[in-house]
Amino acid sequence: MLILRKSLSIIITAISAVLLLVWLGGFVYAVQNNLNVKAGDIKDTSRNSKKSSVVNNEKDLKVVAIGDSLTRGMGDETGKGYIGYLTDEMKAKSDKPVIVQNLGISGQESDQLLAQVKTYSVTRQLKEADYILITIGGNDLFQGGQTLADFQPAAIKSIQKKYLRNLDAILSRVRSSNKEAVIFLVGLYNPFIELDNGKETSQVVREWNFNSAETAAKKPKTVFVPTFDLFELKVNDYLYSDHFHPNAKGYRLIAERVAALLTW
Amino acid sequence: MNNLIQNEMLKLLARKRLIVVGGILAILVVLFTYAQYQTVQTQLKKLGTTDWRTTLQQQIIDTQNRLANSRIPDDFKKELEVRVKQQQYYLDNDINPAEPGAPSFTKEFMENSIDLLLPLMIMVIASDLVSSEFSMGSIKLLLTRPVKRWKILLSKYITLLLAISLIIAMMGLVSYLISGVVFGYKGWTAPAFSGFRITEAGFDSSGASIIPQWQFILMDFGVVWFAAVVVGTLSFMVSVLIRSTAAGMGIILALLIAGAILSNMVSSWTSAKYFFMLNMRLTDYLNGSPPPIEGMTLSFSLLVLTVWWLLALVISFTVFTKKDIY
Repeated sequence: MLILRKSLSIIITAISAVLLLVWLGGFVYAVQNNLNVKAGDIKDTSRNSKKSSVVNNEKDLKVVAIGDSLTRGMGDETGKGYIGYLTDEMKAKSDKPVIVQNLGISGQESDQLLAQVKTYSVTRQLKEADYILITIGGNDLFQGGQTLADFQPAAIKSIQKKYLRNLDAILSRVRSSNKEAVIFLVGLYNPFIELDNGKETSQVVREWNFNSAETAAKKPKTVFVPTFDLFELKVNDYLYSDHFHPNAKGYRLIAERVAALLTW
Repeated sequence: MNNLIQNEMLKLLARKRLIVVGGILAILVVLFTYAQYQTVQTQLKKLGTTDWRTTLQQQIIDTQNRLANSRIPDDFKKELEVRVKQQQYYLDNDINPAEPGAPSFTKEFMENSIDLLLPLMIMVIASDLVSSEFSMGSIKLLLTRPVKRWKILLSKYITLLLAISLIIAMMGLVSYLISGVVFGYKGWTAPAFSGFRITEAGFDSSGASIIPQWQFILMDFGVVWFAAVVVGTLSFMVSVLIRSTAAGMGIILALLIAGAILSNMVSSWTSAKYFFMLNMRLTDYLNGSPPPIEGMTLSFSLLVLTVWWLLALVISFTVFTKKDIY
């Protein structure tokens, strides 16, 4: 028994000694590798070049939503946003599985969205989509309420020009990554309609929407979805306490409108 | 010397602590594997796909939305920015940061246990190497032999180093074997990034290179081993200084847990970076996570740990050779 113990202990000691050397080697390697990094030498020693093929499963409905805080669902206490309600509705109506990718980023303006749709991974997801939903422009125009408070028509003109150029580029970009999917561009409403200069601001928003719709109309299979009228009469019932984003009711209205347009 | 080490090893094996450590690890790994499996399943349900690119994209978007929130503290914001850039870098290069499989699980397990779980296991072994001789009275028998005191202590220390190496290997093996049942045993050659740096300006990928996963895991194990040796040496010192094993364990335990708590709240108290506990997470430097205190680098942490290690070693040997034994 004692002899067995002894030989066991010798074996374990030997194994441990080898392991000690291995870990020491790993440590030296780690230190070397991380302390003397030379800039700009991306060495590709192991990457397998096979790009995974895009899986387009015919059986499910894929929705990709891009845009700003409206896509994200800001202001909705349940956190769903119009995308969430729309998904619920689609799931109820369809027996296919519904997959939704919400890529909305709060506070995003049109030039940031343009940069986002240009990235490889977003392009990849757009490619697989059956429906693409976009909300954009609210932050360009309102700048958190600043633009309309100052109300300088010339400044608004130049903002709008820039926005339309970006929108055109976004829609072209999305279309080129996916030829088949229907694109829904959700229009703006006027959250400031009940303020003093509501008439003037409404006019600006209407014109903005009109031009967005015109831009969308030039692209194939691109539908402009108006929301202006939804918030026209009882805007405060449908707005969150920041008087800017919709609340749950408001989002539900937008979702119903989009849902009515979806066919499969 | 060889005989002395053999003798110490026999004592260590007889105490069966290594088996206890192995058992604890096995139970924990089973739990973690199950938790990880559940995470994957919920993700599948939520996103409707297991494609890592989609998941990663969603993570980036979520973090970007968090960044847009004005109420998050500045240092956390910086950390999130680093994370977004890193994830975007992975995505742009079409490399999965969490390649499914037992090797990735093992890597993650080691990275997460480097600052608390592993030191605790090491402590279980190290803290009674010397003090148990006192409490059992066997120290007198040991010292009556015609061997220099420092040699006896050195043989104990070498045994400790061997035991640490063994425990780390055990940890890797146990987590690989158990998690592989669920996640599969492949993934050693999957590509991984090394050489990310966190500078004042934020995330820097200019020095990044792609290496096979197994090389990265070897590096991870290397630094984990170093951190474990430092903690082991400190416990060893406490074991020399304090006769009661329980009290020694308590001290090390308190230090380790204090370190874990501190690293979550010290970003403004910068001199805390000289504590060894805050420099334990060496793996963070390898995978490019932000350090607990701004400005800490791999070389800084290695230096701090080395100083603590040397101090502990010097104190242990001087005290043990000069100590009155009665």
